[in-house]
Amino acid sequence: MSVLLDARGLTKRYGDFTALDGVSLTVSEGEFVSIIGPNGAGKTTLVNIVTGLAPPTAGQMSFRGLDIVGAGPVTLARRGLARSFQLVNVFPALTVAETLAVAVCARLGRGRRFWSSLAADRAVHAEVGEIAAVFGLADRLARLARTLPQGDKKLLDVASAFALGPELILLDEPTSGVSTADKHAIMDVMVGAARRLGVKAIVQVEHDMDIVFGYSDRIVALHQGRVLADTTPDGIRRDTEVVATVLGKPRS
Amino acid sequence: MSLRLAVAAALGALALFPLAGRDYYATLMLPFFGYGIALLGLNLLFGTTGLLSFGHALFVALGAYTAAFLTSKLGVLDLEVILMAAAVAGAVIALPTGLLCVRYVRIYFGMLTLAFGMLFYSFLLKFYAVTGGDEGMRVLRPRLLGLAWTSFSKVEFLTGPFYYYSLAVLVLGAVVMWRIVRSPFGLGLRAIRENAGKAEFTGVDVRRYRLSAFVVAAVFGAVGGALLPIPTGLADPLLAYWTHSGNLVFMLLLGGFGNFFGPVLGAFVFIVLQDQVMSITQYWRFVFGAILAVVVVFFPQGLTGLLDRRQRAGT
Amino acid sequence: MSWALAAGAPPPIFPLVLVGAGLGLALVGPVIERLLRTIYDRDESFQLLLTFALVLMFEDVIRFVWGTAPHQLSSAYLVYGQLRVGGLVIPVYNLVVIAAGGAIAALMGFLLARTRFGRIVRATAENRGMAEAMGVDVSRVYVRVFTLGVALGTVGGALVIPATAAVNEMGIDLIVEAFAVVVIGGLGSMRGAVAGALIVGIMRAVAVATYPEVEMLAIYVVVIAVLVLRPAGLFAKAAA
Repeated sequence: MSVLLDARGLTKRYGDFTALDGVSLTVSEGEFVSIIGPNGAGKTTLVNIVTGLAPPTAGQMSFRGLDIVGAGPVTLARRGLARSFQLVNVFPALTVAETLAVAVCARLGRGRRFWSSLAADRAVHAEVGEIAAVFGLADRLARLARTLPQGDKKLLDVASAFALGPELILLDEPTSGVSTADKHAIMDVMVGAARRLGVKAIVQVEHDMDIVFGYSDRIVALHQGRVLADTTPDGIRRDTEVVATVLGKPRS
Repeated sequence: MSLRLAVAAALGALALFPLAGRDYYATLMLPFFGYGIALLGLNLLFGTTGLLSFGHALFVALGAYTAAFLTSKLGVLDLEVILMAAAVAGAVIALPTGLLCVRYVRIYFGMLTLAFGMLFYSFLLKFYAVTGGDEGMRVLRPRLLGLAWTSFSKVEFLTGPFYYYSLAVLVLGAVVMWRIVRSPFGLGLRAIRENAGKAEFTGVDVRRYRLSAFVVAAVFGAVGGALLPIPTGLADPLLAYWTHSGNLVFMLLLGGFGNFFGPVLGAFVFIVLQDQVMSITQYWRFVFGAILAVVVVFFPQGLTGLLDRRQRAGT
Repeated sequence: MSWALAAGAPPPIFPLVLVGAGLGLALVGPVIERLLRTIYDRDESFQLLLTFALVLMFEDVIRFVWGTAPHQLSSAYLVYGQLRVGGLVIPVYNLVVIAAGGAIAALMGFLLARTRFGRIVRATAENRGMAEAMGVDVSRVYVRVFTLGVALGTVGGALVIPATAAVNEMGIDLIVEAFAVVVIGGLGSMRGAVAGALIVGIMRAVAVATYPEVEMLAIYVVVIAVLVLRPAGLFAKAAA
């Protein structure tokens, strides 16, 4: 299976403080990778660097072989890498349909068209409808984003990242703020959406270990800016160091 | 449905105006066309993209002086050429200024645009040899559609051919702007206004979109500005002064920036109001200041906002 | 912030009375602050608009009270005579104004750095929530600071009158200059304001003496340069 993301030796220093120290991460097609670690381990920094929010102090990154160091979010989206955010982020005065359309237009390269009517663009409408259906938002297409309940806003936020048609999607705490009862439902929606929409790999940062162990093919444990372990869920469970630092004492 | 009816009625009224009313009122309406076009541009920048420019008058003045320069210095009298030249001038100046200005948002964008506007004003005022300084530059009567209309007196020309020509340019401009706003590009601009950070992560190149909006707004400003000095025959540095930019924003706010037709309505109301108030009292500035203050504090959505509210309350 | 009010021209001669008149007029401060307070939460662009509205209104108020002809106090100006230094002739009044300016700046510096009021103002500026939590009546601080700002404007305007003349449109021109001063010096810094004022003033004087056309242009070029290179101004407080 081909490699999508290949990051090696990523280091990020803020003055004297080293947030990441030589972190490497490889994600291939078909993988579901979870990044875990205590607060301050560098998870968010890693995600921010990989998704173009901040440049690494040292290290290399490539996506499908193309160097992506210093590439901004728009370029990355075009190459096939998208992300969602931990804190819900919407376009308050745009409808659900319009929000998804922004991403779909970017994917279909409609951005340069300042003359054609969006309302008449059937291809865009079809895709918007499909994505909304996959995420269970089809009956709310005409609602303004700011009037949606919190859970739906989160779904919309994630859906608009999926709507970019990426090959690899990075989810930053996708179930944060969601009640425990709904967490599995949301994860199932996202995994189903990924399959339907042709997303080839998912990377998530997650704290809820049930979710992590329930869905991941691989788990990467970070601690103080370094990779503690990068293996299967079983491998993580057997790794006493990871268990001690990240998972807390095992339940006896 | 009722919107289309309202627009059609307004167009009809405007078209019949010179035939029905007195010449004074027809000439009063002439700046409305120029301002309407300029404001369509400003609304793209503020209403659609969320960037409030306090230097839009720069482009209005640029258009005016382009018209003046072409007619009185180069002898080019075809209005079609003049309008195109103004559009090009607007774009040429907007590219470097825009590149600088769109890096900043909110009050910094406002301040930068204000500074550029004043920079242009000082240039117009001080470089007497080129621009005529505070005396301004003359604008000669242009040829419309290749005809010089020499048989028409000045008033007949202004309230006849020139009036309808300006109306046509405004309508054309509105159609173009309507399509821009309704396009994928327009949607991208609105996304930027709503949440620029998220827009960047939804595939929208924020910097490039903002720059494009800035240039389009500048082109509209310049084209509107080119029409403005023709009735008076004079292009004046004060067209670029910051208070003129302030007036443009005032008109925009008055009409309502959340609505496509808001700015045009604002221009209309401003001009009519200015005429009425000036005839009643010499302290029109006080009245206008008070109106602006009231609008800013209580009705930031402007007249169209009020109409929207009433419509929603009625249903 | 950048509120410049063209003070009316009072009859008496002595600078102290000018200052007094300026202070008296500053009483409009609290009223205006109460009005501006309504839109503190909104985008600062709206505040700029509201200030513009107030400028328009005040221009006409002044016109109403004092008429449209420029008022002069050149008699006061000339009474002070002139000084001959080397080959230069310097009107003494100018020196008086410079001295007054320096004194006021020093007074402001002392007020902010050494007095209890100054400390409260600085604390509120840094962290409004925290100041409120510690018992500071933030609204009263805002009113007082705003009025102080207005007073500086009116006194400054009053002091300048004998050297130039009181014209209706003074306020509008002054606003842009004050704005240039604040942008160059940096928002939130008193030292910056002084530095900005000096820079603007000197630049204007130099330009008038060398290339008069460049006078205003140069200032705006500097404003743009500052906004681009150091958007917070030359002396802005370092980001926390």
